[in-house]
Amino acid sequence: MVRVTIDGQEVLAPKGQGLVETAASVGIEIPVFCYEPRLGPPVGACRMCLCEVEGLPKLQAACTLTATDGLVLRTARTSEQAAGGQSAILEFILLNHPLDCPDCDKGGECPLQDLTFRFGPGSTRMQFPKRTFDKPIPISPLIALDRERCILCYRCTRFSESVSEDGQLVAANRGAQSIIATFEDEPYRAHFSGNVLELCPVGALTSTTYRFRARPWEIQNVPTVCGLCPVGCNVWATTREGKVARILSRNHPEVHEGWLCDKGRFAYDHLRAEDRLRTPLVRVRRRGFEEASHEAALDAAEAGLRAAGSSVVVAFSGGETVEQATALARIVREGLGSDAALLPDDWDAALDAFRAPLSAIRDADVCLILGDDPVVERAPVVDLWLRAARRAEAEVIAVNPAGDVQAAPGSAAQVCADLREGKKVPTELRETAKSLKSAKRVALVWSEDDPTGGRHVGALANELHENGRAEVAVYVLPRTPNGRGVATAWYTVGEGRSDPPGEGEIGALVVSGDEAASDPRVADLAARASFVLTTAMFQSELTAWSHVVLPGTSYLEREGTYVNLEGRPQRLRRAVVPFGPDELEWLAQLAERFGVAIDPWAAPTAAEQADLPPADEFAWSRPDPQAPPGKPAGPGLELVRIGALFSGAAVERIPQLQFQRPAAEVELAHEDASTRGIAPGEAVVVTSNGTSRELRAGLNRKLRVGVVRIPAEHAKDFGDRVQVSRLSTGESR
Amino acid sequence: MSGLYDAIRSVAARYPESRSAILPALRLAQQEHGGWLPPEAFRDVAEALELTPAYCRAVASFYDMFHLEPVGRHMVEVCTNVSCALVGAQQVLEAFEGELGVAAGETTPDGEVTLRTVECAGGCGWGTVVVVDHRYHEPVRPEDVAEIVRELRDAS
Repeated sequence: MVRVTIDGQEVLAPKGQGLVETAASVGIEIPVFCYEPRLGPPVGACRMCLCEVEGLPKLQAACTLTATDGLVLRTARTSEQAAGGQSAILEFILLNHPLDCPDCDKGGECPLQDLTFRFGPGSTRMQFPKRTFDKPIPISPLIALDRERCILCYRCTRFSESVSEDGQLVAANRGAQSIIATFEDEPYRAHFSGNVLELCPVGALTSTTYRFRARPWEIQNVPTVCGLCPVGCNVWATTREGKVARILSRNHPEVHEGWLCDKGRFAYDHLRAEDRLRTPLVRVRRRGFEEASHEAALDAAEAGLRAAGSSVVVAFSGGETVEQATALARIVREGLGSDAALLPDDWDAALDAFRAPLSAIRDADVCLILGDDPVVERAPVVDLWLRAARRAEAEVIAVNPAGDVQAAPGSAAQVCADLREGKKVPTELRETAKSLKSAKRVALVWSEDDPTGGRHVGALANELHENGRAEVAVYVLPRTPNGRGVATAWYTVGEGRSDPPGEGEIGALVVSGDEAASDPRVADLAARASFVLTTAMFQSELTAWSHVVLPGTSYLEREGTYVNLEGRPQRLRRAVVPFGPDELEWLAQLAERFGVAIDPWAAPTAAEQADLPPADEFAWSRPDPQAPPGKPAGPGLELVRIGALFSGAAVERIPQLQFQRPAAEVELAHEDASTRGIAPGEAVVVTSNGTSRELRAGLNRKLRVGVVRIPAEHAKDFGDRVQVSRLSTGESR
Repeated sequence: MSGLYDAIRSVAARYPESRSAILPALRLAQQEHGGWLPPEAFRDVAEALELTPAYCRAVASFYDMFHLEPVGRHMVEVCTNVSCALVGAQQVLEAFEGELGVAAGETTPDGEVTLRTVECAGGCGWGTVVVVDHRYHEPVRPEDVAEIVRELRDAS
């Protein structure tokens, strides 16, 4: 600890602490625009923080200084020189900044407006015309840039360069001519682009989905949790007149450090999609679906379920709240006497011995990423933590077909076994094994569907912990937002689970939510079921095989608990009221008819910013799991399907997000492309299982030879192996 | 284009981090593309150094020796920074404009000569500095301009 004097007040601060924080710890504000510790080291670009430091002749940018013993700092509160300097900086910043606050979206929640009011001059000496630009410039369909408002603080470009590392938003030119720009007016297409909107301290970057929609004094911000991926980022849902108007981040430093992906930030308007189901539908013989009253729909549901006896299967989506999943599990288990369920994610509770907050990834020495799914598509913010780890000089090793170690598709379990074994490690994994052996802190990330509930990676973690004496954190990335919570709910209500029968008639199928409805396994079950009860937000061909459809709600319309991938129970709050009963209310009413008492009002107990429960006592007593055998080789190339983040029912309904959806592209290894004479960007024909599709060729120098990657939505009906050939020759090799 | 890719990779191999090779890589790309950097050039450099085209363009836009627009076969650069300005750089520039028939920043219609102003060329003791195809002429007075242009025209 060192002693610093700020405005005559002595402060004890850790040595090296930034002076902005030191001053804040005793309630003294040093005003800033460019300073933002989450973006890395300070740059001192805006000069708003000018303060007087004893012994130095000129004013100093306080944000670039750190606490050192004996330092005497005077801020604008006690130093006339500092006050004059800050006021002059504001006059300078405002030279070219337009006075359009009344119609600027930032007005009312603008740091420049606020700091000018408090620290700036009341007037300006500027009598010349201000600089103007074309406006607004669409940086992307999501972000508008009003260049004349920009004060060149470089927060947005620092985010792009050193947090998301997408390198797409840059400062071009030099000095007074500097501008924020993308390459050749191409859109800023990246998973985390929306964060620059919240970083911008002026109205230069505004969101096209919120621009001119609301004023800060007519909105309410509801604290809740994003329900679109298993990270569970904490958010504010801004509501205006009972509608969600935007999503802002609510920084939980252990979970997401305040960053959001563009899906979480921009997909909220699916609540108001045209094709949302608003009334229950009941299938009437020969007439198809007819709208029904709540009572009639419940009658039909009850009748269908009763006729099925105990031959009932339930398919979960993984988007249900814990309360809702518990209610449904009780109806099926206690009311109907069945234990057949499809769970989107399975979870082995023994893994809780390796539980750690996501922020622990940044502190690891070695991060090992296993599985074929890109982390950023499955749990986007985890990718930011891994990048932070790499910047902190951790060794980050991805083992997958396009990773640092180019493993065969589907070999993650085998890789775990090889690394665990210790002896006869395959050549390509030798370096990895060595790194793991010497690491003190290890983060293991499993990024693909795992029906064994993470036991392969758990066994590896156990080995590293027992014999390597390393501190190990395990992150198994579920496929769905609350897959962990749903699985836990299912196993809390009763013992075990049986798989749905592989063939033959099924009495009734209960489909809970749109994601379950789009699962091909569910479509197969539905074809064999005499009665199908579906809850869904949207009507689609997927609900067509249902007999009763109840309108579902979104995560922004429900009260309850979500358990994120870490195992952190978080509180979901109702930001806006749905137009009818939510799922829990439906389930409570249905349960009553089967003699099960369910409280229709969720009583979530999780805190607004929830803590992670401590890791369980270490007790790994699982038998070593067997890795599945490798797939046999065959003709053509092996296909890896990428489940893209920007896909699914919510994204499909947001026009501004369409440019983010995965391109109709097939990624080829360099060698595979050149042997086929395929150039990057060329149109190619991909054939598999009798299905042919024209896609664009993309070359990936890191991809394993003999493997192609295609976004899942462009790989429908393909088998495990594909043929790729040039469009012009049509000849397959 | 794999010639450029390999050339950039071999330059990058001399640096601990490949992105450090951005300036020589841009120079190679500029040579390859006839003295300026079209959008494809940034894509090529970006691919070879595992950077983004936006980053490469941002770097190039900072430096005077990279050209983001097509240039003529010859380049006439007149320093207009303070030392040269004090001894008549403006008049020298105007003389070039008159002689070549183009304004600063433009290229003659025959595509032969580009005229532009530059920041300090480092010859402050002998202003006005004029750089013709990387060769310094100093000091240059307005009356010397006709001769410089004639030599340039003869050379081509």
